[in-house]
Amino acid sequence: MAATICRSAAGSPRAAGPGAAGPVAAVPAAGGWVGAGPRRRLQLVLAGIWLLDAILQFQSAMFTRAFAQMVAGSAAGNPALLARPIGWSADLIGQHVVAANAVFAGIQLALGLGIAWRPATRIALGASVAWALAVWWLGEGFGGILTGAAGPIDGAPGPAVLCALLAVLLWPSRRARPAAFAAGRAVGTRAARALWLLLWASLAYFALQPVVRAPRAISATVSGMAAGQPHWLAALGNCGAALLAGHGLLVSALLAAAFAVVAAGPYLPPRWSRGILAGAVGLAAIIWLGQGLGGILTGSGTDPDSAPLLALLALAYWPQPAPATAGDGMAQ
Amino acid sequence: MTAPSWLTGTFAVMMLAVAGYCVVRLGMAWRWRRATELDTDGVHTVMGVAMAGMLMAGLRTLPAGVWAAVFGMSAGWFGWQAVRARRGVQAGPWRCSHPLPHVVESLAMLYMLLAMHRSLIAGAAAAMESGRAMPAAGDHLSVLALALAVYSVGYVVWLGDRLTGPPGAAAISLGLAGGAGLGSLAPRSSACCKIAMGVTMGYMLILMV
Repeated sequence: MAATICRSAAGSPRAAGPGAAGPVAAVPAAGGWVGAGPRRRLQLVLAGIWLLDAILQFQSAMFTRAFAQMVAGSAAGNPALLARPIGWSADLIGQHVVAANAVFAGIQLALGLGIAWRPATRIALGASVAWALAVWWLGEGFGGILTGAAGPIDGAPGPAVLCALLAVLLWPSRRARPAAFAAGRAVGTRAARALWLLLWASLAYFALQPVVRAPRAISATVSGMAAGQPHWLAALGNCGAALLAGHGLLVSALLAAAFAVVAAGPYLPPRWSRGILAGAVGLAAIIWLGQGLGGILTGSGTDPDSAPLLALLALAYWPQPAPATAGDGMAQ
Repeated sequence: MTAPSWLTGTFAVMMLAVAGYCVVRLGMAWRWRRATELDTDGVHTVMGVAMAGMLMAGLRTLPAGVWAAVFGMSAGWFGWQAVRARRGVQAGPWRCSHPLPHVVESLAMLYMLLAMHRSLIAGAAAAMESGRAMPAAGDHLSVLALALAVYSVGYVVWLGDRLTGPPGAAAISLGLAGGAGLGSLAPRSSACCKIAMGVTMGYMLILMV
């Protein structure tokens, strides 16, 4: 953690580095603790999501064979070469379900606390990328993107890969680059914009797949999410499903058009970009309702699904008043 | 649908350890004349004992009604402190300077006591200690449990972010009493206790969703 000046109460410099006095550098509080800048705040939200994942993983249902069956189910439709390890991991989890689930929850707890605790942020973010990619393969079956049946409402491209993407974009690099938004500081503006374009263009593509645009496909997905939900959310889901029934193609086309507009957001002038990113957050909120809040009110949801992560990504691309450099409030 | 009893047992032991540590803190602060948040340490002592009792039936000490009265009073106390803080009144060296999280914690305890009480009436006794998911106080209120759990997680993250630095700096960033004069008693240990309590509370609330 060696970029921002962090002076101890006794007066000894804790760390110093380049770019400490950037335009969005956080103001050191009395005693040397440096307040959180935009990127650090986003890291903390990511930490909170990992912690919530950990707590959800501690739920009773996860200590049963249902968890192993859920993992095994994610292999369906994937190429055999990639599906086989999913089956192996599901078997292994099934044989030691209590120990395996406790380890999984413990890892996620450590990741959340590690990202929040400044001295461990880098190592925890790095570990979270590795863990998230493993979960994306062995737990989510690549979010179903290789099955031809994954739609944005189903959570494609998978919450885990979005966590990994966020960890990369929010990486507290020692040599932060000037960027118009927080997500561009670690990888650079051009690469960050390309990743954004790839993500939202792929969402548009997923929305237009034949299985997803079938007349009753989205309606069935939304009504399927209503199972086990509290009455009000189930009623909302069923009402939405009834409205969407038979209009699969129209809804898919509208979703794809919205995703395409959002994909262009970071390439536009800040005023336009802000409007589109605000729209992306709103779109993510609607998708989250369609996802039944990721099933976290059912007692068997393992995470809040992809929509909150899409909203967090949108905030990571929010244009800053001046080019963001270093000094995001983390002693780095 | 059963969580291993060792898990609830571990959380219960952790809560008893937090309660014990808070008692020790109060004693040490009095003995060494070091600043600590009397109200926070006091409420965390009773909260730790109450939560341990909720997690394991064998550790229950007082009836739910008594605990509800205690946490109702603590919610009132910290609520009053929050109002004072909002009016710009400086908290003394023996009072909590960030009372809002403790208002929410106290309300969460009241919620959990209510939910357990209803659960017991419904014949789902000992649901928590057997790790079974308990129905919340009502269908709509499961959202409240989730909101309280998310708040707990947010508070844990907020504390974790402020743990850095030497004790004096940590005390200031954590808003602990006596931080500026380096007189605060083990501020990071206190924050770690709050983190442990926040994680445990989040776990218990999610079980009630």
